[in-house]
Amino acid sequence: MSEELIEPVKQLIIDALRIEGMTSADIDTDAPLFGEGLGLDSIDALQLVVAMEKEYGVVVPDAATGSKVFQSVRTMAAHIAENRK
Amino acid sequence: MKCFMLPGQPLFRSPRLPQDDDWQQIVALCRSHALFDPESGEWFAPDGTDNVALQIYGVAMSLYGARLLKKSGVTPGIVAEHSMGIYPALALCGSLPEEAALEITSRGGRVMARMGISRRYGLGCVVGLTLEPLLALAKNHGVYLANQNTDRHFLLSGEELAMEAAMAEALLAGAFSARTFPCDAPLHTPLLGEMERELREIFSDYRYRDPVVPLMNHIDQSCLSGGDLAEFMYRELLLPVQWEGTYRALRGAGATLFLEVGGGDSLKKYNRWIDSQFKGNDSP
Repeated sequence: MSEELIEPVKQLIIDALRIEGMTSADIDTDAPLFGEGLGLDSIDALQLVVAMEKEYGVVVPDAATGSKVFQSVRTMAAHIAENRK
Repeated sequence: MKCFMLPGQPLFRSPRLPQDDDWQQIVALCRSHALFDPESGEWFAPDGTDNVALQIYGVAMSLYGARLLKKSGVTPGIVAEHSMGIYPALALCGSLPEEAALEITSRGGRVMARMGISRRYGLGCVVGLTLEPLLALAKNHGVYLANQNTDRHFLLSGEELAMEAAMAEALLAGAFSARTFPCDAPLHTPLLGEMERELREIFSDYRYRDPVVPLMNHIDQSCLSGGDLAEFMYRELLLPVQWEGTYRALRGAGATLFLEVGGGDSLKKYNRWIDSQFKGNDSP
């Protein structure tokens, strides 16, 4: 079920972080979002938390959950699929 | 109206440095006036530290970015600075030559670093809490608010052990992220008053011209004149950076395009957050 969320999650990342000149095809589903992958940081992560809650009603309750959820696009999609309202 | 934003000290040095002549000229100025080589990481002053090296690197990257923008014909209608971004901002606004901006960064940084000889200090980066609980936990642990970057992004400053305890409490209180970074001196706190005489001496050693472009300060968002600068540069080290207020004031002053001049893109990200919080409301 989370597979169908992969593309929308990529688009959510692009929109929420206002990433210019990038399409969803440029984002590797399994690449790390932080560091070597997309190079996101904690400022970006909080922006994604808010965007996920707004778009899907899904919360990231604490830092420990956040570090698991924001490993990759796939883990974000899985978290949304498991918790969406 | 275009706004050039000059960021403060980076937390890390990029592994990839520029290669062109402008960068080489900036590196030469760093070596001769800041006594540090940002390419090799070599110090030519006995009291240089890793933190001061980062401060000089940050200023060098901003000076380099400003050169590139100037060459491509992009000019600011207003300039804003965050923390140590004041030093390259002064060069960009014509108040000081580039070499003086680098020299003042190095001299001031090395004086402040003396505080770290007998005590260990830390910066605490907290994301996700609001101001009220953050101030409460800062008070609990005897550390200080150093940056109010947005309503959810803050930097605390103080002694390292107290900071580690404060960061642990921040996570328990629901912070999305709370990390400690070592530093030489408790930047943006009254504790720096300990170095008042030395710092004032350094800042009064230079002759500051009036900025040729309006330069908004991050404390009370007024624009600085040449006569304000020596006092401002001391005072800003003791007071928190109010970036959210500065960004709103810049928008209010008519800035519509914001260019971050230097390494990293933190200021752009703070602005993005502030904009997102105001979406659907009055503009910031």
